[in-house]
Amino acid sequence: MNPILQVENLKKVYSDGTVALNNINFEVHPGEFIVVIGPSGAGKSTLLRCINRLVEPTSGDVVFKGKKINKIGARQVKQVRREIGMVFQNFNLIDRLSVVNNVLHGRLGYTGTIKGALGLFSKKDIAEAEEILERVGLSKQKYKRADELSGGQMQRVGISRALAQRPRLILADEPIASLDPASSKIIMDHIFTICKEDKITAIVNLHQVDVAMKYATRIIGIKSGEVIFDGQPSHLTKNIIDEIYSNAKQPLVNAQ
Amino acid sequence: MNMIQELKKRKRLQILLLFFFVTGLTIWSAIGTNFSFYEVFSGFGLISNFVFLDLLPPDIAASGTLLEAILETLYMGFVGMVVGALIALVLSFLAASTTTPHPVVQVIVRAFTSIMRNIPGLIWALILVASYGIGVTVGTLSLILGSVGFLTRVFADTLEEIDTGKIEALHATGSSYFQILAQGVFPQFFPGFIAWSLYNLELNIRASTIIGMVGGGGIGFAIQKGIKLFQYKEVSMAIVLVLILILSTEFLTSKIRERII
Repeated sequence: MNPILQVENLKKVYSDGTVALNNINFEVHPGEFIVVIGPSGAGKSTLLRCINRLVEPTSGDVVFKGKKINKIGARQVKQVRREIGMVFQNFNLIDRLSVVNNVLHGRLGYTGTIKGALGLFSKKDIAEAEEILERVGLSKQKYKRADELSGGQMQRVGISRALAQRPRLILADEPIASLDPASSKIIMDHIFTICKEDKITAIVNLHQVDVAMKYATRIIGIKSGEVIFDGQPSHLTKNIIDEIYSNAKQPLVNAQ
Repeated sequence: MNMIQELKKRKRLQILLLFFFVTGLTIWSAIGTNFSFYEVFSGFGLISNFVFLDLLPPDIAASGTLLEAILETLYMGFVGMVVGALIALVLSFLAASTTTPHPVVQVIVRAFTSIMRNIPGLIWALILVASYGIGVTVGTLSLILGSVGFLTRVFADTLEEIDTGKIEALHATGSSYFQILAQGVFPQFFPGFIAWSLYNLELNIRASTIIGMVGGGGIGFAIQKGIKLFQYKEVSMAIVLVLILILSTEFLTSKIRERII
């Protein structure tokens, strides 16, 4: 099977000189559930954002469905983004809008500029958004304002918005980092089962190794912007985990 | 231990210096303005004479004609706010770093509105009276100019404070620039838009009284006319009406704010 995504010699240097990613190479095949682990500041978020070009890579290629997407124009970037759903640590819902309206934002890329701006979505899109909400157990909340929900519910709306795009690939950036353990489990279960049922490929950033081991079909370990592990969870030994997280722990309080 | 004492000493010195500086400045400006307490107290008699004999009691019979003037003031303040807010809405999207199509546009709009804001409404009115003559048009126009200057600034600052993560999320869905403005930026901006517009209405009503005095029409013009004709009882009635108008707008706008936000 052809890979859905290829990342080749990817490098990102921010304008302040920080090297966030260096020489990243990997391929993603359809149906994989990849978890990227690594300490804070390792470059996980930058990596995901280089894939949908929320961050412009400095050099290297990102190939999505056989097409180099790092050199295409703004219009085509939007078309590629429609097929890539994204889930965020802070949910990033529009608080004052209704839950179903937030889900419908996933359809903006497929809706005309004016209709989309005015929030005039097609009946079909609305019906589908409601179906998605039912799937994540939020039918009763669909007309509530997004800021009335709990953190776990908000993240389910975040997932629903990504699903409304009918994506081929989902990028999840620390989707459970702001949630309590019970909600975290619900969210991870939702992401995992939905991706499996709908045959969506997923790349999920996490910093909890145990959660990564539980769900991932493959784990990529990143440290200081470089891949230092890429393989099945069963091959991730304690030594490698220590290696990934070594020297990463900064003391919370500097003893003087 | 030594360091703490050293710090305390330095702090004391700073306070002492500041004290002398402020005292010196006060004395200097008092001399410069020929300020004397004797004069202030000697004025009391005249003030109370003026207030109790000339101004009071307000001439209630005049309220009929004054009511028309006060409605004009309200009208100027309201139109100034509505038109000002609509123009400022467009300009602020160009002036905020988060939404501007180009940094050069941002600088130009900011500079342009800064000029409008920093010329007081009073000066605008004086300039406009020369071309439009005395009347409500002048008052309304100068209030619009002031409102555009003020609201563009505060709207742009509000736009710059919105959560960029949420905007990033809409970018990630493949939305276009206008879709993101309408569906992502505007809902976050809306409470600030309403609150600042209502505050602007209060400012306008206060300002329109002053602007009226230099020829902008409304109750300010009526007050000015009354003073010139020594109709002080009519003037005091007008002042009472202004107070009622200002207090009731403040009350109403705060109620509306509560409802909407």
